[in-house]
Amino acid sequence: MVLHGLFLGLPLAALDIRTLPQQIVNGLLNGSIYALIALGYTMVYGILKLINFAHGEVFMLGAYTSLFVSWAFGFTPNATVEPQTQVWYLLVMIVASMTVSGLAGVLIERFAYRPLRNQPRIASLITAIGMSMLLQYGGQLFLPNSPPPNIDAMINPYRGNVNITLVKSNENLVAAMKSAEQTKLTADSAWDAQKKLEENSFYPSAKGQALQDAAQKADRDYIEAQGKYNNSGVSILMPVGRIITTVVTFILMGVLSYLILFTKRGRAMRAVSHDFDSAALMGINVNSIVTFTFILGSTLAGAAAMMDATLYQPGLQINTFFGLLPGVKAFVAAVIGGIGNVPGAVVGGLLMGVIESLVGWAGYTSWQDAAAFVVLIVVLLVRPNGLFGSTAAEKV
Amino acid sequence: MVASPPVSKSNPVAKSLVSGILSAVGCVALAFLVQYISGQFLSSYANGLVFQAATFVTLAVSLNIVNGITGQFSIGHYAFFQIGAYTTGALSLLFWKKFQGAANVPMQEDIWIVLMMFFGIITSAFAGWIVGLPSLRLRGDYLAIVTLGFGEIIRISAENFTFMGGATGTKIAPEKTVVWLAWLLAFAAIGLSRNLLKSVHGLAFLSVREDEIAATAMGVNITRTKVAAFVIGSAFAGAAGVLYAHQQTFISPDLFKMDGSFIVLTMVIFGGTGSITGSALAGASLFYLPEALRELPPVPFASLVGIVLGLIATIGALKRYSDQSHAKTSVKAATMIGIIVVGIVFMAILGKLLSFVPSISAHAPIQGSQLRLVVFAVTLIVLMLFRPQGVFAHHEFSWKWLRSVLARVLPKQKEGLSS
Repeated sequence: MVLHGLFLGLPLAALDIRTLPQQIVNGLLNGSIYALIALGYTMVYGILKLINFAHGEVFMLGAYTSLFVSWAFGFTPNATVEPQTQVWYLLVMIVASMTVSGLAGVLIERFAYRPLRNQPRIASLITAIGMSMLLQYGGQLFLPNSPPPNIDAMINPYRGNVNITLVKSNENLVAAMKSAEQTKLTADSAWDAQKKLEENSFYPSAKGQALQDAAQKADRDYIEAQGKYNNSGVSILMPVGRIITTVVTFILMGVLSYLILFTKRGRAMRAVSHDFDSAALMGINVNSIVTFTFILGSTLAGAAAMMDATLYQPGLQINTFFGLLPGVKAFVAAVIGGIGNVPGAVVGGLLMGVIESLVGWAGYTSWQDAAAFVVLIVVLLVRPNGLFGSTAAEKV
Repeated sequence: MVASPPVSKSNPVAKSLVSGILSAVGCVALAFLVQYISGQFLSSYANGLVFQAATFVTLAVSLNIVNGITGQFSIGHYAFFQIGAYTTGALSLLFWKKFQGAANVPMQEDIWIVLMMFFGIITSAFAGWIVGLPSLRLRGDYLAIVTLGFGEIIRISAENFTFMGGATGTKIAPEKTVVWLAWLLAFAAIGLSRNLLKSVHGLAFLSVREDEIAATAMGVNITRTKVAAFVIGSAFAGAAGVLYAHQQTFISPDLFKMDGSFIVLTMVIFGGTGSITGSALAGASLFYLPEALRELPPVPFASLVGIVLGLIATIGALKRYSDQSHAKTSVKAATMIGIIVVGIVFMAILGKLLSFVPSISAHAPIQGSQLRLVVFAVTLIVLMLFRPQGVFAHHEFSWKWLRSVLARVLPKQKEGLSS
């Protein structure tokens, strides 16, 4: 109770079980973005044993790229005529975003991480922190960030919703709702008629006042009845943009799995991840594999950034810290799944999204960001190798 | 058994006691001297800077105990700083007015702050103990992530701590810039680290850094050592947080963002992990550097772009040269200075040329204060590329060390032996 008194931000909210399916679906959709970013973390860690702190900033650069592309298509903040959108605009945006992000990832690897490969691992970690800070604060000098711009939501041609009804609403409540609607309509028309009569007087007369009150009360009753009716059923509302995001995410993951599992380069990647030095001795060009890994991870982050800013949360404000929180949460997702483990990152990302939205569902919205870290600490203490990681003791 | 040791004129124990007392008195005197000088001759703004420099020296030296001496890579040091600040914030909000009203003699602000430091140390040391526990199971980058996460949890908790104004923050009562106390704390942190390294316990800390398994084999209790390092480091950070809160008077979670931890980390790494004097000097100088940037006139955007491009080219050239050349140290140093000079000229020319590009010259000039954290980031990266062990590495600053370095770098005389 003392704690509850001090932290008034903690409502012990009544949990509404009817909104749970919606929250879980939200979490899964949200988690697919985290999964896409987490893949970059997990692949780089698998190969270099390096936590790429700058990955979130690569994501940020992708978001800025799609912003610039959307401006090039005429969706500028001070455009006088709203331009018509096309589906291929989105395609150009995502490709540009992936290209720039991939390039950024490769450059960061080449100039910041590769010179340090023979140093202790902590040196690379510190460089990664430095790189992340440099892109966040250095980016502020070069990228438009005040006021924070956003990608025009109108560039997204898919703006509808998909509504799935799980449990039909209670039919007995329909009658109540209909009657409330009828009452509302009559009260409204009576008040409208009276309003016409009293058009010239500033204050309504006693009769007019009564009619106005009655109309307002009927309005409230109707909304309440409607709410009751809607809440008696269970349905899931999904914006089409989010569905597209998730579908594209899973397509990209499929492509990635194909690349890793069935191509020669993917096999080389797995070999390098297994044992860096032996792979080099077997004639694998380790440097080109590392570059390839960074390309893969960063392009996925770029795709995630474009979809997050355009389709998933249209109108989201972009600044140079855009990648900070998604990056951190994706990292936690990678740890949950066992860092270095590709399917684990996907599962971890989805799990992370669900956990986050469940925390919001329980009423602790302001603690959502902390939840990620709590999960991280618990996972690291209880199962440091994650859900799917192999347990290998660190050798001397 | 053995013959009694040769009788010396002075008792070593008494001698060390006397020198200890003398240095303690010296530190107190020095702290008051700093307070007197900065209070008398500096503006109140500069006085605040002198105070904050001490805070950052304390933070850097205390993080050095964890990161440098014990080798536990912690990047959430600001959390303890924040815990100290919020402890005094809460207690001052609750009790400061009451003490003022109830007592016949109003409570002295200095005494109150010293009292609060005591509580701040307790809470932050407790937090340090909690964070220290996972360090038993985790190492390297995993531990780093946990400390980072802990710092964020503390900050988000503070955002939900409505008693202290939540995310907006709150104003706390006695406003006082206690320069002497801040510097005394910094001296205490330095002295404690130094004495720790001279003692048997300090050797245990060092052995944990060098090799945990060997340390266990030699009978060092790793658990206790690691947790002790965290507790000591966080206690100093908490005390510094108390002082900082009373200087700032308005405390909010925004003061304690993740960047702060990275700044302190940069200081420790810049000074050389494990070097006490290194962290102290780096703490003071790296604190002052961005403050000096504020004074700079706005930089034209074209020059900035020129500097960035020139800096990248210069760093690349330097890195390539330092990796591949096998010349004598003196020749190498001279060449590198030459490369830097050429780089600066290149930057200037590039900046001038770019100013003719209309889209670049139209950009608004950049204020020096915007470069504050960029400087830290660049410092970190350049440091890691050229001298990952830090400026002082594991050494302590002393005249003897300086002479030996100079002897190595400067051209040797004929009679000098080659190393």
